[in-house]
Amino acid sequence: MPRSTRKSTSGASTPPSSLSSSPPTKPLYPTISLRSSSPSSSSNNNNNGNTMSTARSSLINVLNRPHHSTPSTSISNTIVTASKLSSIATNSTDFNSSDEDTLYSDQSTAASSYASSIISGTASSLDKSNLTSADIAKIYENYLEKPFVNTKSTIKHSEFGHCNNPNWRWTSQWNTDEPIHPTEEPHPPYFTLLTTYISYILLIVIGHMRDFFGKRFRPAEYAHLMPQNGYAALNSDFDSFYTRRLKQRLEDCFARPVTGVAGRSIVCYDRLSTDENKTFNLTGTTTRALNVSSYNYLGFASSTGGCADAVEACIKKYGVSGAGPRHDASTLDLHTQTENLVARFVGQESAMVVSMGYATNSTTIPALVGKGCLVISDEFNHASIRFGVRLSGASLRSFKHNDMDDLERILRDVISQGQPRTHRPWKKILLIVEGLYSMEGSLLNLPHVLELKRRYKFYIYLDEAHSIGAMGPNGRGVCDYFGVDPREVDILMGTFTKSFGAAGGYIAGSKQVMDRLRIRSHATCYAESISPPLLTQIIASMGSIMGVAPPLATPPALIDDDKSLSGDSVSVRSLRPTVYGPAPSHILPTWMKLPLNLLNGTEGRERLRRLAFNSRYLSSGLRKLGFIVYGHRDSPIIPLLIYNPGKMPWFSQLMLDRLGPDKTPIVVVVVAYPATPLITSRVRFCLSASHTKNDIDLILRACDEVGELLGMKYGKQTMTVEEVISSAEELVSASHAE
Amino acid sequence: MSVVQNPVSTMMATAQSPSSTEIPAPLIPLLSSLTSFIYTIEKFFNRVPGSPIIVRYIKSSYQNDPWRSLLELFLLAFAIRTVLKGRTRGEGEGKSFIKLTEKEIDELVDDFNPLPLADDPTPADSFTLDTVPTIHGPNGIKVKTSPNGKTLLNLATPNWCGFIENDKMKDVAIQTLKHYGVGTCGPSGFYGTIDIHTKVEADISSFIGTEAAIIYSQAFALVSSAIPAFAKRGDIIVADRGVNFGIHKGLQISRSNIKWYAHGDMKDLERVLQNVERERKRKGGKLTKKFIVAEGIFENDGMILDLPKVMELKKKYKYRLILDECQSFGMMGAHGRGITEHYGIPASEVDMILGSMANGLATGGGFCAGSQVVCQHQRINSSASVFSASLPAMLATCASAAIEILKSQPNLMTSLQNNILIFRQQLAKLEPENPFDGSINKDALISIPSFINSGLIHIFLLNPPTTEDGANHLLEEEESILQEIVDEVMTSSNLLITRSRRLRSQEIFEPEPSLKINISGYMSKKDVENAGKGLKAAIIKVCGSE
Repeated sequence: MPRSTRKSTSGASTPPSSLSSSPPTKPLYPTISLRSSSPSSSSNNNNNGNTMSTARSSLINVLNRPHHSTPSTSISNTIVTASKLSSIATNSTDFNSSDEDTLYSDQSTAASSYASSIISGTASSLDKSNLTSADIAKIYENYLEKPFVNTKSTIKHSEFGHCNNPNWRWTSQWNTDEPIHPTEEPHPPYFTLLTTYISYILLIVIGHMRDFFGKRFRPAEYAHLMPQNGYAALNSDFDSFYTRRLKQRLEDCFARPVTGVAGRSIVCYDRLSTDENKTFNLTGTTTRALNVSSYNYLGFASSTGGCADAVEACIKKYGVSGAGPRHDASTLDLHTQTENLVARFVGQESAMVVSMGYATNSTTIPALVGKGCLVISDEFNHASIRFGVRLSGASLRSFKHNDMDDLERILRDVISQGQPRTHRPWKKILLIVEGLYSMEGSLLNLPHVLELKRRYKFYIYLDEAHSIGAMGPNGRGVCDYFGVDPREVDILMGTFTKSFGAAGGYIAGSKQVMDRLRIRSHATCYAESISPPLLTQIIASMGSIMGVAPPLATPPALIDDDKSLSGDSVSVRSLRPTVYGPAPSHILPTWMKLPLNLLNGTEGRERLRRLAFNSRYLSSGLRKLGFIVYGHRDSPIIPLLIYNPGKMPWFSQLMLDRLGPDKTPIVVVVVAYPATPLITSRVRFCLSASHTKNDIDLILRACDEVGELLGMKYGKQTMTVEEVISSAEELVSASHAE
Repeated sequence: MSVVQNPVSTMMATAQSPSSTEIPAPLIPLLSSLTSFIYTIEKFFNRVPGSPIIVRYIKSSYQNDPWRSLLELFLLAFAIRTVLKGRTRGEGEGKSFIKLTEKEIDELVDDFNPLPLADDPTPADSFTLDTVPTIHGPNGIKVKTSPNGKTLLNLATPNWCGFIENDKMKDVAIQTLKHYGVGTCGPSGFYGTIDIHTKVEADISSFIGTEAAIIYSQAFALVSSAIPAFAKRGDIIVADRGVNFGIHKGLQISRSNIKWYAHGDMKDLERVLQNVERERKRKGGKLTKKFIVAEGIFENDGMILDLPKVMELKKKYKYRLILDECQSFGMMGAHGRGITEHYGIPASEVDMILGSMANGLATGGGFCAGSQVVCQHQRINSSASVFSASLPAMLATCASAAIEILKSQPNLMTSLQNNILIFRQQLAKLEPENPFDGSINKDALISIPSFINSGLIHIFLLNPPTTEDGANHLLEEEESILQEIVDEVMTSSNLLITRSRRLRSQEIFEPEPSLKINISGYMSKKDVENAGKGLKAAIIKVCGSE
């Protein structure tokens, strides 16, 4: 593949097109102007200004997805400017992730063997068609540490995989052809349901029998569950039954001790239990495994690279302590800078950061609603939301997961009935929903919710813990994904753990709301403030997703936020293509030095597009293999249904001790009741931009192996695993999962 | 025979003797078709598998008593209704539910006019926000509140041993960064348990002297989540009225039966315990879990808990003690182990010790130390532990490093105690009773309930502005007087202090306004002495004229 083509095509969607020659009225990011009312939409597809948004988004995806056979012919001025940008990037010495000096895959899509996944380099010398298991094992010996390609990058391959094929990119964006929710839920065979129920009944019966005899014959082991010396048991045998008798059987799948960075791969300590999982003994050895369990959507969990360097500089300057509560002289300039940046990032007026993601919800909700207010909550909302609502004293109604009809029915019901008994109207109604549900992988139907909001006048509290950074062409969450104005949502909440490789959470909203929260939130008054190195990691990673201006040009629309324009600001606002622009460099700390690839946003963009590809590829691939997979295909969380409780530990173990010839261990998270409904226990893959396509191929192969062995393909298998791997790009670009 | 008689018997009659005269002629075809219809249904019913069983059951249940069958029918209907009923409460069936037409609902929806999400800030709100200082550059004992402003001595931030600016901890943090990165990217259950988490837990438990410990990623969330992990509905919690806000929230979530005792009053505690005991004996019933919740050094006023007495009562009445040492850990005792060390009571006798690594160790997060059973229980049942990302690696390693320093350098605690003494001596002359020589001062301006060895010092105004009848404090005015003192010491003595910030209207017992001082052992004696003098002068200047 000619190199120039690759540059220009990958640049087609690279954001910082306004760096040089583009006219100032052009929108900054061609891919994001979904709002059809915006005059800027024309620029995206050159002359087709009035094309419907569906057509546009599919065109965008074509633009973003070059093919070998069809070098992109749609050369526009965007592409020209982008290639200039990438040449600037090449000149930079510490340009590290989009490696210009590596080879590209020349794989043929028809080849159906392990070799098809292997990028040229090591494998090119081997005969691709007949590799023996031993050959494959040899090739994959150091698979997690050493890339198949040569690279100069300073980021370790084990933390962030090097993957250069520009075809393996996608833009996370709402395609109106694709339903937000599947029209019908996939159902397992009745036999599976029956065996699952029988398994649980069996587990419960055996558990009670063991308890019955255990209490009589080995009372010492039950001492902590029984009242003794006049003290009631701290934890009654009834309350802990599930933990002791069901969860303990799977104990090895949970809380495996690890070390190092939870990046693309992770090092687990090997452990054994000799007393039925009551205690574990470390064997002293470790295993490096491919990590599809950690929330590391954009791959910013890293011990090297631009962000880590910035954090190091911060530790030297600030130390590690956030010290006391924000109001007690522990608000640093760094806090204010982070808050300004977060507000820009999510497209809100103002933002506030809290030192723990869980506490962000649990300390904010009580400051917003109280007695006489109603909270309407999705039934699958996170525990922190439920905790916060309970603290607030507001009434609670919950609606069926993502069921908009049920929501509307409840809204009509509560507004017409008013408060119970008194029938007074509710003071406020707050709808609390999540953008992306962490156990289901399902997306919120935000356009529909906003429609309901206009009719029923409730407020929206949108928890974007998992969607921020992971969804949308600009990584700004579900508002970005659906192309709606984030300011239509009253409160945006999110965390820094998942996409930014830090910890803590934020709340963003209008200035008035945020001021009230700053005064009334428990966290600002009583909880420790977030520590400086974490803030730096947030600023560096967020800045690199946004790009920093300069070197990028400040989009004209953002000027009105600075209140520098008074008279003609109205006309400027109407031209605003999007609320998402680069971060103005003056709001970043002056001491922070970021490398050019982070400053100009190429790195961030690359990560967003890799994550989008990976998510869609694995989700579609697993469906084709006949697994039952929940959630939206653009979701980086991919739950694969297991059902039978007995299969859970097996699945986890077989992914770790691989049967396949490559022998690369994979760590997965299995989730069961109470985090999920009793029968739908599942394994949950959390994908990351740090995974290469080859990693996803491995996961597919491993799932195929194990799924075949454990009889987990409950759906209809339409493709073999080799077919899936060779047609990855087609699967991703197809607009329907079927 | 009238027409309204039992239709079945009529039909039987019709079938057997169609020529019967008493039925009006037009009804005969109707009745016969009805009969054949019933016959078809019966035939069909008999073909259904299991139908003889149902018939037999109905016959045996009927027993010539129609009321019996009616009752069973009623029960069946009730069961079906229960099954079909909505899962959530208030699903539109309650007594006060009013059935409305769609049009009426539409009108009500149009009329619905909710309050704004956030009301306009009141002057008090703006005052609160405007008086929050921002620190430019690093935090520590010397700070700047504007980029080019003068350097202030920081008496507002808890930094008892000067760990904030400790270079060794910075080195440890950088080492950790190079091996572990920044975030852990997951809750502890899902590959978020790093080896150093296990290490810091072991370090904490061996330092304090308990069997085990569990760390949380925020101290405030720890306190409000660890309590409801154990105390459930029906359990009894006896709590000090002066406990901090986090505990209040934990008690609220637990839904337990909460009894308050007067702040710091051991006699009242015993009285409450006796009352509970008496009530339990009177009512009988199951043995429930009973907890005493208190703080080592109280966050709201710096007072110390009389731990020996509490231990005695707890053992006597068989309570478990949940001791919040978020302030006292890293501040009290010869090595900073908290008030257990201060009183020489083994920490293993306290059931749960909650501590903050943000205050005492200047990193972040909190811990709960206790027995193996207590800690293991929280790993599965404490919501803030299960559902939250684990503590960032560098905060954990720095906590380990800080504990190492505390263990090896007892002089850190002695210099802290010296500084506290110097500072308190300066202010003693303004207190009604001098805590050092017991002399009585008639012109006293302030009262300091804080324990004499406590690094956290709360200063209350002795003559706060009150309403005309003197019954209630004018909180807002009092706070503005305190703010005046804060501003005065900043300009005249280069001190940064803070008044304690409260969430008015969200607190269970409104604490009185106070000035909050944190002394650091890292400050020089000269600085502390000057700070005491400066604060004294400012208090006299602001309050003395009245």
